[in-house]
Amino acid sequence: MFEVRFHGRGGQGAVMAAQTFAEAAVLEGHHAQAFPYFGAERRGAPVRAFARVDDKRITIKSQIYEPDMLVIMDESLLDIDPVADGLKPTGSVVMNTTKAPQDVDIGVAVRCATVDAIPIALETIKAPIVNTAILGAVAKICDLVTIESIKTSINDRFGEKLGEQAARMNSLAAEMAYARTVVGICKGERTIVRPKVWLPTWKELPQGTALGEDTLSGVTVGPGGSLGNYTGTWRTITPKYDQEKCVRCLRCWFCCPEGCIKRLEDDHVKWDYRYCKGCGICANICPADAIHMVKGAMEP
Amino acid sequence: MSEKELAIIRDIPNNDWFVSGHGACPGCGMTIAVKNIMRIIGNNSTVYVPASCLIVVSAVYPTSSFRTPLFFTAFENTGAVTTGIKAAYRRLGKDATVVGIAGDGGTFDIGLQALSGAAERGEDVLYVCVDNEAYMNTGIQRSGSTPFGAWTTTTPVGKKTKGKRQMKKDMMDLVIGHNVEYAATLSIAHYNDFVKKVDKAKRKSGFRFLHVLTPCVPGWKTESAKTVEIAKLAVETGMWTLFEYEDGEARATYRPKQLLPVTDYLQLQGRFRHMPSEDIKVLQRWVCNKYYWHFGHEAEQPACAMFKGEPEMHFDGDPLHGV
Repeated sequence: MFEVRFHGRGGQGAVMAAQTFAEAAVLEGHHAQAFPYFGAERRGAPVRAFARVDDKRITIKSQIYEPDMLVIMDESLLDIDPVADGLKPTGSVVMNTTKAPQDVDIGVAVRCATVDAIPIALETIKAPIVNTAILGAVAKICDLVTIESIKTSINDRFGEKLGEQAARMNSLAAEMAYARTVVGICKGERTIVRPKVWLPTWKELPQGTALGEDTLSGVTVGPGGSLGNYTGTWRTITPKYDQEKCVRCLRCWFCCPEGCIKRLEDDHVKWDYRYCKGCGICANICPADAIHMVKGAMEP
Repeated sequence: MSEKELAIIRDIPNNDWFVSGHGACPGCGMTIAVKNIMRIIGNNSTVYVPASCLIVVSAVYPTSSFRTPLFFTAFENTGAVTTGIKAAYRRLGKDATVVGIAGDGGTFDIGLQALSGAAERGEDVLYVCVDNEAYMNTGIQRSGSTPFGAWTTTTPVGKKTKGKRQMKKDMMDLVIGHNVEYAATLSIAHYNDFVKKVDKAKRKSGFRFLHVLTPCVPGWKTESAKTVEIAKLAVETGMWTLFEYEDGEARATYRPKQLLPVTDYLQLQGRFRHMPSEDIKVLQRWVCNKYYWHFGHEAEQPACAMFKGEPEMHFDGDPLHGV
């Protein structure tokens, strides 16, 4: 049994990558399955997808907790998600990064294939969707599939869904990534912190759902309610606020979907960057040009 | 009521009852609407949400984004459940606002019978329809609310068919047909209008219906930063009309001076990208007709942008027809 876990962000195509990988394994004469993590996370959020390959029929249906191979489609995930959790010491990792394998630190020292997939994707499919490029790197490090079977599988899957031209460009992306992939050993210095998940049984839940009125989150169930879910990790661009220019119209406060723009006593505003997803609405509607979006997830 | 009536953004209480940390897509129009409605309604309220994007993003076990009591059962019974919650409060002697926030699927299609029942009985509840014009939560399937020509996964674009072939269902007309206490359409881009209408709905008792157009970034295939801009263009092109129904009369609350061509609205959205010019003409004609039907009884009519010089629009004298 060979198990692969794909880590990406919503919209990068992690699910398609898992399915294409499984199909390529089937073409090589193996049994395979692929499925996404079923959750409520949307575009930009960290997402997972899984694939299993075996020589006989696969009856297990669970998620993958101890993968043989990790595919990391976005380097920034390493800081926000325990991606290497459960990776076998004999395993391997494929990563989309500008770094060389020996400079990558995922927390486990294993065989590592790196490729800078974003320029390849921009060059071929004209969008930063790296799922097919990363599959080229997978073919380089994984013995179960070859670049030929990956390309056939991409042609099948993408050709059916998006048309011939898209399929050709996507398989070209895989081929280019295959040629540019560097294999080495990565570092294992990072500590992997598993998040504490509070999952009470129905007996442990507060009765009714009502807590006292003075509780921070009113009747929000659980410690802090959804306030404990810091969605700021989804952000790739960050709003920058110029208080001098602000005319205190409060439109941004009204229009922020996250509610992360806080209104101060004097009707100036302040951002709570822990929750900002970087949608850019505030900069778009500001009548005084006081908000600009800057690249990167850092706090300005 | 003794409390001051709200009229502008600045009047909205600075209290969040729908908090951060929910899992909606960046640039979600629905959360803008829900967050501000909750700010105005306040915490003396109970929220019911049926199956929709809203329940998925805001109530992941064991947490919730609402700081008010939140209830959730099945898809089709928003009208019935809010009725039940209000009845229980009445029995307990409590005066609380009961809000049902349903999507367009839960209002136009699946929840229509329960909504109709509650509206006909004149239950004292506030029904909010957050309309993103398809079943976005399950992956963009058409609903009764999807506009003509729009791409969805169940109205695909190919050689034989080019998106949805039917017009958007006229939900406001259906609700007004029940002779409800208050009904209004809202836009997240017309802030003061939004505030006034939600505040008015909060103050009234009886069946109140608010219909908000909430652009959806993945479903409409738009840029996340343009959510509010698109909501504004929907009003300026006449695709969405702002009016309220009160005391047996419908009244326009905002009228654009000059209707923009619908293409201004369509070109920002990927779901309309395939539309051939004949289809755009059909849609433009529908918008103009709807507009003349709606505002025809008033002296000043905005000129219909695309059809100047063509034969006069049909107007049947019924201001509510085709709203």
